[in-house]
Amino acid sequence: MTLVKDPVPAARKARPAVRAATGRPGRRRENLAGYLFMSPWIAGFLLLTAGPMVASLYFAFTDYNLFNSPKWVGLDNFTQMFADPRWQKSVEVTAKYVIIGTPLKLLLALGVALLLAQSRRGQAFYRAAFYAPSLIGASVSVGFVWRSLFSDGAIVDRTQSFFGWHVGGWVGNADWVLYCLVALTVWQFGAPMVIFLAGLKQVPRELYEAAEVDGAGPVRKFWTITLPMISPVLFFNVLLETIHSFQIFGSAYVVSNTQCGPADATLVYTCYLYQQGFKNAQMGFASAMAWMLLLAVALVTAVLFWSQKKWVYYEEDAR
Amino acid sequence: MGTSRNLERRTILKAAGASAAVLGLATTTGCGGESGSGDGTVTIRYSWWGAEERAERINRTIALFEKKYPKIKVKTDFQTYASFWEKFQTQAAGGNPPDVFQNAVTFLRKYDKRGILLDLNSQEKAGNLSLDHFRDGVTKVGQVDGKQLGIPVGSNTMALVVDEKVFRKAGVEPHAGWTWDDYFKALKTIHDRTRIPGDTGYFTIMYLYDLYLRQNGKAFYTEDGLGFDQADLTEWWTDGYNRVKAGIVTDPKIVQQDNPKSSLSAGHGASEFTWDNFTVRYSAEGDSTYGLAPIPTTDGRQTGQYLASLMLSASSHTSHPKEAAQFIDFMAHDPEVGRIMGYDRGILASAEQYDAYRPTDAVDKEIAQYEVDTAKAGVLGTITPHPSGADTIEASFLRIGGDLGQGKTKVSDAVKQFFTESEAAFQA
Repeated sequence: MTLVKDPVPAARKARPAVRAATGRPGRRRENLAGYLFMSPWIAGFLLLTAGPMVASLYFAFTDYNLFNSPKWVGLDNFTQMFADPRWQKSVEVTAKYVIIGTPLKLLLALGVALLLAQSRRGQAFYRAAFYAPSLIGASVSVGFVWRSLFSDGAIVDRTQSFFGWHVGGWVGNADWVLYCLVALTVWQFGAPMVIFLAGLKQVPRELYEAAEVDGAGPVRKFWTITLPMISPVLFFNVLLETIHSFQIFGSAYVVSNTQCGPADATLVYTCYLYQQGFKNAQMGFASAMAWMLLLAVALVTAVLFWSQKKWVYYEEDAR
Repeated sequence: MGTSRNLERRTILKAAGASAAVLGLATTTGCGGESGSGDGTVTIRYSWWGAEERAERINRTIALFEKKYPKIKVKTDFQTYASFWEKFQTQAAGGNPPDVFQNAVTFLRKYDKRGILLDLNSQEKAGNLSLDHFRDGVTKVGQVDGKQLGIPVGSNTMALVVDEKVFRKAGVEPHAGWTWDDYFKALKTIHDRTRIPGDTGYFTIMYLYDLYLRQNGKAFYTEDGLGFDQADLTEWWTDGYNRVKAGIVTDPKIVQQDNPKSSLSAGHGASEFTWDNFTVRYSAEGDSTYGLAPIPTTDGRQTGQYLASLMLSASSHTSHPKEAAQFIDFMAHDPEVGRIMGYDRGILASAEQYDAYRPTDAVDKEIAQYEVDTAKAGVLGTITPHPSGADTIEASFLRIGGDLGQGKTKVSDAVKQFFTESEAAFQA
């Protein structure tokens, strides 16, 4: 079972089929066929995505315990939320996770991609090996494995102790357990790595040749050629990984054995949302939380898009 | 050529239409409310919480039931306690709770208020279920406002489960009427002599704090709220925190790592306050031998204990109330079922089953002896069903207590947080 959502909205994949519309008679029937083919997906979207979203927007302004009929309470859920110390804690934990985990993961992905971009023996094997964790990393069983790796007396504890650094297991330790989750996401660097690799292959060889003629060393080449040329790919990866990180749930839930603890140390945003909605039956509050998360992610995405003008280089700009 | 193209189009349209229809069909069958079939066979769903050990026994009793009632099929599933109620709440909210399910006193008012529980009095009148032959009027535990919402299958009481090997090694001997002072001194002795913390976290257990309050003329719950104030809890939790610091109570961090195993059966604590029937589970889970000790007292006499019970309830949404009632009746009264279940869910509640089962293994014998002793000591009080929201509060008490034990929250903040969350839980 994977808990990761498809990063590319299905809407975008399906769009070309709709585009076919022109005025020619007969085309209309073809359009109809197109829509009919899409109908399972459209129905799914309306019933399983759009409908629940509208409903949750309404619930966000109500008092709803799953059993009563929702009672309109205006902005109460939101004011309650901002004053709630556990909500604040969940925002703090999530922010920490995103800010530490995402850059580390991308750095590692880029670093390994740079190494693998050069031709060497066994290249295909290394790529597959590094990519594999991102295929299985989101599964519940890996969460369990992580939990036991980072417990008292397990391999991580022993290795650390061997170097005289006595922390004990990270799981169950409020100061350390979040890094256990960070390690889990960083370990899954394979997906952005593959995208980086594709980007690196696109950089024209002649640029490097020209730079070499001018006497540029590898560091110089990286900063002035490689990085600018792959900046669109970098932007894409930053965007995807950031949005993805905000939605962390499965690993926090499993590693903390459904407690999102201890002392709320792994109480990521979605975990608190889940507790409020499904444990405490405060569906109104949980819906309000969900919409706050959507707004926050939208805001971060907007800022990233705005910032790309400053640092992302597209060849066709011809500036 | 034109015709063939048309034909193609038509085929395409048909195919698209068919796929839409299939989807529509899938959604309707997916809800699957129908559980009867042509030959009059009826399927009921039965859910409970527990571990593998309990599942094995229950599956055997179901086989027995299906043999006697060939027209009723029973579909089962089980989870751990917390997951069970999480799933149950969602199912109940969707109007699709299991037909029959395990229940406890903490959840009666909550789900009665939400209209989920079938009043079994009607089924008794219809002759599908008997409320007779229960021991010590234990059926009262399942009553709320005159409605019979649950039928007890086992009765249990809070106890101190001890790791006998560690207690023996430390030379500590619990005895009836011992006080909290005696108890905490014993924990210290155990820790001094064996390096094992004496207890796994008494101050986070709602049911135990309830006993302590009862010993002092209060209770955890009133009819509709909390029966203690912030000062009471501040004292209870400050002491708890200090005992973790002193090493005589297991570090909550270790408790967290041991979860879902208990720190007692994992060997990281020498005793634990829990329900007496848990020795069955711990004996299967751990390496040591586990025994039952009396609850410490305040005045040397009153333990505050009461007889609780695991019950079977039926859903008010069930389309087969008769079959559900027959199933519950069989599970509560059939002697063979009693022999299979033993004291896994507590002392067998009906006289038929109690008489049919003679405990042979040490664990069950001890539970029986414990309940006999407790009853003889005359310390058993009565329990009124907890107010709606008690389940959420139980979880908050455990969680916030654990945070506090790790030194992550100040006691004053923890107490405030607990009262805020309780307030919200009562209102939900």
